[in-house]
Amino acid sequence: MNAPLVRPGLWERGRFGLARLFRIREVGLISIVVIVSIVAAISIPAFRNGVNLRELLNNAAVVAIVAIGESLVLLTRQIDLSVGAILGLSAFITGSLLGQLSGIGGIGVILIALLLPIFIGIVLGSINGVLISFARMPAIIATLATLSIYSGLQVVVSGGSQVYAYQLPTWLSQLYTTSWLGVGSFVWIAVVWVVLFSFVMRILRWGRDLYAMGSNPEAARYMAIPTRRRTIQAFVVCGALAGFGGLLYIAQYGNVDATAGAGFELTVIAGAVVGGVSLFGGSGSPLGAALGAVLLLEIENVLALLKISIFAQQTLQGVAIISAVALYAVLMRRSQQPATRNRSQSDNDTPQIVKTEVQQ
Amino acid sequence: MSTVARRPPGTEPRRSSSRGDAANSWINVALHWIARWEVGLCLLIVIVVAGSSAASSNFLTPFNLETMALNATVLGFLALGVAPVIMTGDIDLSIASTLALCGVVMAVLWQHGLNIWVAAGLAIILGGILGLVNGLVVVMFELPSLAVTLGSMSTYTGIAFLILQGKAIINFPASLVQLGSGGLFGSDFPIASAILLICAAILAFVIHRTAFGKSIFAIGGNRQAARFSGVPVARTRILVFVIAGAFAALAAIFYLGNFDTAQANMAADQLLPAITAVILGGVSAYGGSGTIQGVVLALVLLQLLETGLGVAGLSGQEQTISVGILLIIAISGGAAIGAVRNRFRRREHRSSIALSATSETEEVSQTASINVEDHSTHEQGYESVP
Repeated sequence: MNAPLVRPGLWERGRFGLARLFRIREVGLISIVVIVSIVAAISIPAFRNGVNLRELLNNAAVVAIVAIGESLVLLTRQIDLSVGAILGLSAFITGSLLGQLSGIGGIGVILIALLLPIFIGIVLGSINGVLISFARMPAIIATLATLSIYSGLQVVVSGGSQVYAYQLPTWLSQLYTTSWLGVGSFVWIAVVWVVLFSFVMRILRWGRDLYAMGSNPEAARYMAIPTRRRTIQAFVVCGALAGFGGLLYIAQYGNVDATAGAGFELTVIAGAVVGGVSLFGGSGSPLGAALGAVLLLEIENVLALLKISIFAQQTLQGVAIISAVALYAVLMRRSQQPATRNRSQSDNDTPQIVKTEVQQ
Repeated sequence: MSTVARRPPGTEPRRSSSRGDAANSWINVALHWIARWEVGLCLLIVIVVAGSSAASSNFLTPFNLETMALNATVLGFLALGVAPVIMTGDIDLSIASTLALCGVVMAVLWQHGLNIWVAAGLAIILGGILGLVNGLVVVMFELPSLAVTLGSMSTYTGIAFLILQGKAIINFPASLVQLGSGGLFGSDFPIASAILLICAAILAFVIHRTAFGKSIFAIGGNRQAARFSGVPVARTRILVFVIAGAFAALAAIFYLGNFDTAQANMAADQLLPAITAVILGGVSAYGGSGTIQGVVLALVLLQLLETGLGVAGLSGQEQTISVGILLIIAISGGAAIGAVRNRFRRREHRSSIALSATSETEEVSQTASINVEDHSTHEQGYESVP
């Protein structure tokens, strides 16, 4: 009847071609990272320095791995503020155990080094998950509480002692400078995690469940997704990755003390947010989170090389976070215009309904 | 016939309905008063005071109480300020940074020859503006407040650092120090705590007795519904951020008065305790419920607990762990009590429906009148829906 109301051509515009490609967040992020790198490499000689690049990439790899875990939790519309404390606690316990085993070599120690931090992360993450899905605590409160508990435990466990680099097995302390095929070991490890979780989140049902829960928790429940179990699992995986990050933290710094990992959670969340993971859940990807972490640390690195004071860096980082979030919100609204805009504006609801009815 | 048979045991409709119903509603009323969050907090306070004074005779000395009251002041202003924001369902992570920036600006203005009280006034205005920036960005761009205030947190701290360049300003005028750490009329009761209580009372009035406060809870309960019922959603959400900023600036004034030093990273460790106090005070982290009285009681409890644990010989970190555990127990315990209460209420509701149609119509007319009342309170602030 009211045919002019339906103008399909208008909304389908830009389905193909360059514009469409740039709508994919990760492509845009990669191009920004590449552009920043090229500009920095040309204009700042110190950026090209091998040591600087290794430092930057290794730092970014650790943040990226934890950001992947955080992104899973954010996708389900939850948040984990305790990742820094989990990283610190797992780093300290693993470090001190490895220090005590320093005389013993062999595959057993390597296995302990690999599995213990992940195990610690799983335990701490499942505490978070149980509090949130069974005690029904809001995630921000539960993880705020566990943040203080875990970081307090770290101090209590350490009792003021420190783990020193010379106590660690050599393969671990050399991991930082090892490179395979010209690329640092940390980067390889991060890439493995990114590939694994991109697969999990894009292909596996488990990953799609997390997206569904984040987009619409109610609908996810009606679709018979076991939301409680998935929430716990997301927190467990997040904790495991943060625990694994603790292992890399030891390898990176060698010295671990009671304050290791303090404040790390804010960098991780900022990275995920810059990488396009929505705090409203349901939107974003592990790859995006990792790229966001890389971009954040790259900007930080460039600012440091430009001898801009660390305080101005902090300001700029804050501005970067806000503008990234604003940019994503604008892009999101534009790309979803026919679907979402009407949800908030009741006046436009009617034509939308008419449209679907006509098509059916 | 069969419907009765199919009921699970224990839920059969009662024959002696009037007596059973009376008992049920009595339980309900009792639960309503006993299961209030504030009652639980008071109980905890009594337990902590009793335990601590049993552990040490030095716990309840006037000097100790004065120190506790002073220590709670800065945290108190931060918590009171952020409480309305959390009640609307948003969050403000930048309060500690706002405190730092306002304190630094105030100190620098004073150092450049401005009267300290003029500087304090300007600091409060600055706090309001910083809060306004947060609110505007959150509301205008429809962004998650968590991300925005995470960003403004580092932005404000960074600016504070840029202004001071890592230095510290000390030795403020005696009048400010007197305000920050002196006693009221020469007594042991700190002036700062008195002002905190007055501000809390004003805030409690605004939150619990005005149309503005009602719209805060309406927005926190259901933003969409609030918008459709004519609540000025955007304006209220921005305004609570302004309140949070102004309270953070007040906290800055008392920080300078109490500690007599201005640094760019001052009070950075007060952010999480402030939010903890608000949540422990019974404000729902999802917004829509909570009281200012509860927040004040939670502040008292936290301060007593900290001192009590210190008296009992626990280290600072063990105190942090205890507060974290208390938070978990309180929130999940509160949820459990709420579930029990809901079950009672639902049972009563079910029996009232089964009983008579007359009471039901009464109920309906009651809700209708409540709706009318609500509309009249919001009428001044009517906003055209975009």
